[in-house]
Amino acid sequence: MKALLFALLLLISYTGFSQQCNITLQGHIEDPDTREMLSAATVLILELNKQVTTDARGNFEFKDLCPGNYSLQISHTGCKTIIEKISLTKSRHIDVDMPHEKNTLTEVTISSNKGNKNTGTKKELSGKELEKTKGQSLAEALSRLNGVTLLQAGSTVSKPVIHGLHGSRILTINNDVRQEGQQWGNEHAPEIDPFIAGKLEVIKGVDELKYGSDAIGGVILVEPRPLLNHAGYRAEINTGYFTNNRQWIASAMYEAQPEKLHEFSFRIQGTYKRGANARTAHYRLNNTGSEEKNFSLAAGWKKHSFATELFYSFFDTRLGIFEGAHIGNRTYFDSAIANNRPDPVFTGENTYQIGRPYQKVQHHLLKSKTSYKSGKNKFALQLSLQKNYREEFDIVRNSNNYKPQHNLAITTLSQELSWEHKQNAQLTHLIAANTMQQDNRYAGRYFIPAYRAYYFGGYYIGKYSKNKWELQAGARYDNKNIYTNRILQSGEVFDEYGFNFSTFATSANASFKIMQGLKTNINIGLSSRAPQANELLSNGIHHGTSTFEVGNIHLKTEKAVNINWGAAWNIASGKLSAELNLYRNQIDNFIYQQPIANEPVQTISGIYLLNIYQQNNVRLQGIDFSATWWPFEKLDWQLNYSMLRAKNIDSSDWLIRMPADRIGNMLSYHFKDEKKWNGSYITFEYNYVFKQTRTPDETFVKHDYKAAPNAYGLINVDAGTTIQIQNVPVSISLGIRNLLNKAYRDYLNSMRYFADETGRNFQLRLKIPFQSKQIKE
Amino acid sequence: MKKILILIIFASTLLSLNACKKFSEGETNDEELITTLQLNFTIPGSSSTQSFKFEDLDGPGGNAPVIEPIVLAAGTTYDVSLEVWNKAANPPENITTEIEEENASHRFYYSPSVGSNIVVSNLNNDDNAVPLGTTSTWQVGTASTGNISITLRHYPGTPPDKQISDPVNSPKSGTDIEVTFNYTIQ
Repeated sequence: MKALLFALLLLISYTGFSQQCNITLQGHIEDPDTREMLSAATVLILELNKQVTTDARGNFEFKDLCPGNYSLQISHTGCKTIIEKISLTKSRHIDVDMPHEKNTLTEVTISSNKGNKNTGTKKELSGKELEKTKGQSLAEALSRLNGVTLLQAGSTVSKPVIHGLHGSRILTINNDVRQEGQQWGNEHAPEIDPFIAGKLEVIKGVDELKYGSDAIGGVILVEPRPLLNHAGYRAEINTGYFTNNRQWIASAMYEAQPEKLHEFSFRIQGTYKRGANARTAHYRLNNTGSEEKNFSLAAGWKKHSFATELFYSFFDTRLGIFEGAHIGNRTYFDSAIANNRPDPVFTGENTYQIGRPYQKVQHHLLKSKTSYKSGKNKFALQLSLQKNYREEFDIVRNSNNYKPQHNLAITTLSQELSWEHKQNAQLTHLIAANTMQQDNRYAGRYFIPAYRAYYFGGYYIGKYSKNKWELQAGARYDNKNIYTNRILQSGEVFDEYGFNFSTFATSANASFKIMQGLKTNINIGLSSRAPQANELLSNGIHHGTSTFEVGNIHLKTEKAVNINWGAAWNIASGKLSAELNLYRNQIDNFIYQQPIANEPVQTISGIYLLNIYQQNNVRLQGIDFSATWWPFEKLDWQLNYSMLRAKNIDSSDWLIRMPADRIGNMLSYHFKDEKKWNGSYITFEYNYVFKQTRTPDETFVKHDYKAAPNAYGLINVDAGTTIQIQNVPVSISLGIRNLLNKAYRDYLNSMRYFADETGRNFQLRLKIPFQSKQIKE
Repeated sequence: MKKILILIIFASTLLSLNACKKFSEGETNDEELITTLQLNFTIPGSSSTQSFKFEDLDGPGGNAPVIEPIVLAAGTTYDVSLEVWNKAANPPENITTEIEEENASHRFYYSPSVGSNIVVSNLNNDDNAVPLGTTSTWQVGTASTGNISITLRHYPGTPPDKQISDPVNSPKSGTDIEVTFNYTIQ
């Protein structure tokens, strides 16, 4: 088989190049301001339609070129595409400077001119690093970023955690729209297809104000690639197979701009994913299968200074819930978690079938964004509609019951009008007003009330940059009105509550370039978050933990003061780079759940532990550090370390469910590009997570059901290459997660009470891109 | 320019369409809800029946459930039948019928407290001759007090695989009802 493949490749490689054409063109691309070496930039020789991608150190190489004059089209996310004319008579090396764009505050996704959004703390996942995560959930992909961890409920449900905060303290922005789904609990994962993203970013800083005054933990940006800005088409097929749960995935994308209608550009994209029951190191967990069906459409129109874009996406998933973690009352919960291994009744089935209990979630997003540029001014109007349906199917008494026991539907409309004014080369202003309306209904078992909420708000952001300084500051005000009602079980009595919350946020950021390659940044922000409907008014049994949760209508607004200091250093030789970030987040009136051990709730199905919402002042502080070292041309070693200390100041006790400290090591070898093989790499990862020893004191009140699990270290391997097959650069990669098939449990996974984490998983991925022959600028 | 206008109008109409829908209240319709477990005691040959119940009309949480203490006559044998209701539904829903229809996937367990003077026997069987327990016989001894737990377990599997030997905490089944009554024998 190998020999055959080799022969085939040899055959392909010998077609179409002549003897005298043996010029090699090498080059290096970097950002002149930050000295960041731009990996995954595409370099295209327009005349030959030959394309390569830069490696991790920003280098590229074309071989076997004939003498002549060529145009190089170089593009990279976040930079303006540039064209370099070069003349080749003999082999040569060129250096290309690609500045990231800075002078715009907002941008319409249709244009390729992505502005530099935020100079505060920013972490980004794109290119090869993003591709390594294809087939995983959004949260799993984000957890590759230093400082981001996972909060899980079994193998199918995961939420991102930024510096210890999650849920409504983090805003998820999907294609410029604030994601409004059912984020009421730890079992509610973000409803977004990661295949939509060309880039995932986590930001802290002044730009948070664009999305809300409540981004206490930070903002996640899910950004699609810009639509094509030249005539032609591009298509991409992604497939993958994961051995652990026999998960397979297929995703396809097609985008084009008609030859005769340069103003118009569109994209269509879809993903299908299906996985069977997941296996831990020693046993398979029944009913942990999943299925996902997503698609999206985008269309843009751009002429002169006018641009408009319409975007629609649909997300649909069905997630099995491990039955061994869906326990009834306290008696059985305690005996289930006392076991080290789930009862054999709950393990061993290898099937794609999903039975009760399971969740079915659908999310629609429709967005239109229109902008008009006139001189130094840019006006934009964004409208969006989101509909989210969530159905939970419990185990039922009657086998003929096919209905969900819990049914939530939430509709959100939002409008935003913004005005950006570029006063001069140094100073830009952005001012915006927005409104949002939300309607929530439910049927079946009560969990949160039906409500209607009306929001309005506005913000101002100013950005100034001169010489070595970049200064940004902004403020935002939001007002939220909630009207709720709920019919009580007896049928006639109404529970009705109205709430009004005003929240204010402000943020300032200063960034200073100390010297070439060394930059420092400080950000101070105040944000406030109004309590959510579930924190105010939830009332019901939580099956996963055998608790009875009760909301509190007297909750006050959370207020946070967040200080972030960071420094980034790139040594001139390019052999070493490092980044350090220190943060301190002081949150007053932090809302959390407190178990009340001495007031058990008596129900007809037994006794449950009472959990109430209460507030305290807390402080979260920590360090993120990462460094990359290139001892040799082809070898690099990356080190990540993150640490968090989270304390309840009032009781001077640790906060529950906070991520443990961790160290990540990544050793990569980049192979020399061959004629038909390029971008080949192999990466070894060793990630070590410490035991969380900082947990609340259990002397007087019971906080947790089981002690924090032990520390663990996992080895992952990734290898990949891009093969030119008939001028199509086909990328193949193989990843192995948990190479040693280690049995372990994670403190932030609620499944840890019952079962181990997923065992070894081989992940095979294939990417085939196509594009039209004549791509013109 | 016209095309652009049309596009904007199209987009904004789409977005505003939904705003016109009427606000409807949340509908609490938990068809899995059980509010009431009632025990009916008859002395064989007699026509009078004594009833005691566990009742939680507003479901879990809210008002505390009402648990009636069981009072029985010493040295008597009773025929006992169970009734399970959802009285929050309108009209009230008799869940006993549903349990009897799916008798192969349900089972009641009776556990009198240690040293109790009550012996529960003669549970009725399901279609596979495995105990179901919607009816039983209680032999009541000398005057005393104590408590008795009654548990309804439900087998979600298909087939349910319910065996005579399955204990009350078998992982094959889950709890629908678990209540404890105090009793007085006088």
